[in-house]
Amino acid sequence: MITAGLDIGSTTSKAVLYDGVRILGTAVIPNLALPSDSARCVFDAGLLSAGLDRSRVEAVAATGYGRRLAGFGDLVVTEIKACALGVGHAGSPHGPIRTVLDLGGQDTKVIAIGDQGEVQDFAMNDKCAAGTGRFLELLARKLDLTFDEFVQAALRSENPVHMNSTCAVFAESEVVSLLARGISKDEIAAGAHQAIAERIGAMVRRVGQQEVIAFVGGGALNQALARSVEESLNRTVFIPDSPQTLVALGAAIAAFGRSREGVF
Amino acid sequence: MTLSADNPYRLPPAQSDHPGNLRKQAYIEAEQVRRMAETPQRPANMAFFEQRLSRASTAPKSRPRIGYLCNLVPVEIMMAANADPVRLDNGNGAAAAAGEEILAGDICPLAKATLGVFLRENGLPRTCDAYVVPAACDAKRKLAEILSDFAPVFAMALPPDNDSARHASGMAAELKRLAAFTAGITGTAPDRRRLRDAIGLTVRRSDIVRRLQEARVRHPEALALRDLFLCIQSSLFSPEPLETWLEPASRLLTEVEAFTPERRRLRPRIILTGAPAVWPNFKVLNVLEECGADAVADTLCTGAQACIDPAVLSEDSLDACLRALAARSIFGAACPCFTSQVTRLNRVLDLVEQTGAAGVVQYSLRLCQSFDMENYRLERILKGRRIPFLNLRTDYSLEDTEQLRVRIEAFLETL
Repeated sequence: MITAGLDIGSTTSKAVLYDGVRILGTAVIPNLALPSDSARCVFDAGLLSAGLDRSRVEAVAATGYGRRLAGFGDLVVTEIKACALGVGHAGSPHGPIRTVLDLGGQDTKVIAIGDQGEVQDFAMNDKCAAGTGRFLELLARKLDLTFDEFVQAALRSENPVHMNSTCAVFAESEVVSLLARGISKDEIAAGAHQAIAERIGAMVRRVGQQEVIAFVGGGALNQALARSVEESLNRTVFIPDSPQTLVALGAAIAAFGRSREGVF
Repeated sequence: MTLSADNPYRLPPAQSDHPGNLRKQAYIEAEQVRRMAETPQRPANMAFFEQRLSRASTAPKSRPRIGYLCNLVPVEIMMAANADPVRLDNGNGAAAAAGEEILAGDICPLAKATLGVFLRENGLPRTCDAYVVPAACDAKRKLAEILSDFAPVFAMALPPDNDSARHASGMAAELKRLAAFTAGITGTAPDRRRLRDAIGLTVRRSDIVRRLQEARVRHPEALALRDLFLCIQSSLFSPEPLETWLEPASRLLTEVEAFTPERRRLRPRIILTGAPAVWPNFKVLNVLEECGADAVADTLCTGAQACIDPAVLSEDSLDACLRALAARSIFGAACPCFTSQVTRLNRVLDLVEQTGAAGVVQYSLRLCQSFDMENYRLERILKGRRIPFLNLRTDYSLEDTEQLRVRIEAFLETL
């Protein structure tokens, strides 16, 4: 039996095809205007990557902000539950993961996982986008760097500047005055990563952190951020393979579990 | 104390006439009516309560009208003085935006929305002859001062904690001053007989609300929490006499008590606690119920708690009446403006036990420090007793509805 998980996020859409043991194919696309179009496109891309025909897929689960707007999906789960399932499947060399940090384009989530892999507790950023991936994207643009250049600049810096603002709007004006003071782009880029990591650190501590923390979501692809988060939490940060599609994998696992039970 | 017209620093009443904002306020209300109409198995005569609220600002005025804020004010004193009491706390997100023309953005949204409605020349608050505002939280204390530009305000003093043994006689004396203030406005003193009659009316309301609540605990699908709130708030936030509410509410009660479910109800039961949800801002109630939870009981001062407890008279002297009102309205209140949060903790834990609830959701209003800070102990006490708990921080705007939905759905998945 093969199932699919679609994660229709705020910035990108992700798909995973799953056969109960292995990942058969994955896809990530930038979002189209309508969640239903994004869902259709990313599903097709996922099928293509797995070399499968649509008719082979038994069930589809949707998650992410567009989960109810995706227009299809036999099952709808929240990204929090999907994330816990995905992390459970990914495994880690450090034993079972109990704390997960999921940094997306618009949301940051911290999830505490219990003995059975169930969600025990979670925290999310409320209302504003401070402390999310979008903050860093905006600052990269302000420094006239591509996102990759921005991350590399942060990794190069040995003396990160202290940034006061984690508000995406106010931080832009802070960057202007830092540049005017002659602070290098490297130091500003590193400072921005540190500011975000500090904010995330407080959220992780509120939920309660364990020795090893899994870092997933699009934000986990950013090495500079992973390093800053590790420093801020003073814990080992483990990044599973394909962190960006882990939530979609969790949705596919949820669909697989429900199909096997024969209940929808 | 009375804040009156002879204040040497009195300002002309603040005004704002912004047609776009008024349209938005009306839109938010209409949208809530539309959303509630989709409730499955809704009782037949809910339209009565919606209409009672929507015509509040145009209701004909046949006798003096006294506006008040907070559930801490005993309305019986105004009723006994031949006035129609009307609660003026407001929950409309667009009204909060109007209030920001006067108040800074990072002030309590309830205070901003309440003031926002005062800015309209023909709004309900402007039809009142006086206001009663308890000095509960800092926002209400200072709002009382601003409102005194519109009409005389009785700023009702409150004790710092709700220990009745320490503060009963002081509070009875303050209520006596409130009675004198009210008599000065209406020309009718609330004597013993009139007060007893008014208490008789609110006891009838308490009886209906208590029985509605008991029926909901048996069968939550018989009446959605937001419909219970609508029913209760239409008796508080309308200047129409309470007598005209009792009969339709009794009919609703008959219908709700007669409800027999077709199947077993499997939805998780939730207790809602926290800040006031005021019509038409039932955002949290909407999302909770739409995500598949049964909110079976609440401790909100705009929900069942607003009038479920009757004033209990041991004797019928004027002083005994005032003491009974203080016992119900002030010493029984779970408002976080009092030092200790024991009353609310006890109530939440009792409700969890009585209703078999699977979890507790706190509605925490951004910029309300009192509720926010109480979250520290509430969360630890509940989780320590293995009761799942979710703190929702939000305000009166509707922009974070989807974010709230993720939190609530994920919380329900963990139960």
